[in-house]
Amino acid sequence: MEAALAGDDDAFAELTLRHKSRVFGVAARFARDAAELEDICQEVFIQAYFKLRQYRRDSPFEHWILRITTHKCYDYLRKRRRSGTLLSVDVLLESGYEPSAPEPSSPHPDLERLHAALAQLSPKERIVIVLLELEERSVQEIAGLTGWSMANVKVRAFRARVALRKLMENKK
Amino acid sequence: MNDQNQDGQLDALFALARARRPDTSAAEFAFETRLLARLRAQQETDSVWAMVSWRLIPFFAACVVALTLWHSQIVTETNDAEQMAYVENPVILDSWNSLY
Repeated sequence: MEAALAGDDDAFAELTLRHKSRVFGVAARFARDAAELEDICQEVFIQAYFKLRQYRRDSPFEHWILRITTHKCYDYLRKRRRSGTLLSVDVLLESGYEPSAPEPSSPHPDLERLHAALAQLSPKERIVIVLLELEERSVQEIAGLTGWSMANVKVRAFRARVALRKLMENKK
Repeated sequence: MNDQNQDGQLDALFALARARRPDTSAAEFAFETRLLARLRAQQETDSVWAMVSWRLIPFFAACVVALTLWHSQIVTETNDAEQMAYVENPVILDSWNSLY
């Protein structure tokens, strides 16, 4: 960390090597394809590189980098929502929608339905539900990662669940 | 009852999604190398811009000096013209000024 702060690029590469799998793991839940996943992760580490001096050592580096990852993913979701029109779950699935970056070996039809429904949620709802249910983060952790209050996270999680249930129901 | 059933189904789906973590190993391969290459490219671009902007400082300074000289010349010419008009016809100018 000291060396990376002093501007040693190799030390920063070492730091990246140590933390990239956590960043990729979270970003893969939001990225549409491998190219977008690469973009998100590169932007996360570039921001970390230029803002390394702002990192206070009162919490682990992983928390700091995951906070940047959460914000980047949120930015990508917002950008995507602004640029594209919203399609229904059926249309998304029929158009060969790729639920998220690198798919596991055999796609499960119910999982595809879940991912397509997740893609329909608002960026805030999606961030909360993915972190809470898929990444198994606590409400307090999500509040720390997003910068929202715990009450806000709870309300958004509840709304996201209701919206998700409705979307899944419509699909049946 | 229906809501509880749907909640249960949703929880089962979440559990399934948790169990099937996306495999990012291919995307992670040699990521540091690509990242450092991009960082270096970005730093080079930034340094080129910084160099160009430093080199443009004398040009902009010269522009500021030229504009200041041009402006002061216009102000002097306008004052001279007003004084000449007053000398030639002071009554008109005084009645015009008395309006304000």
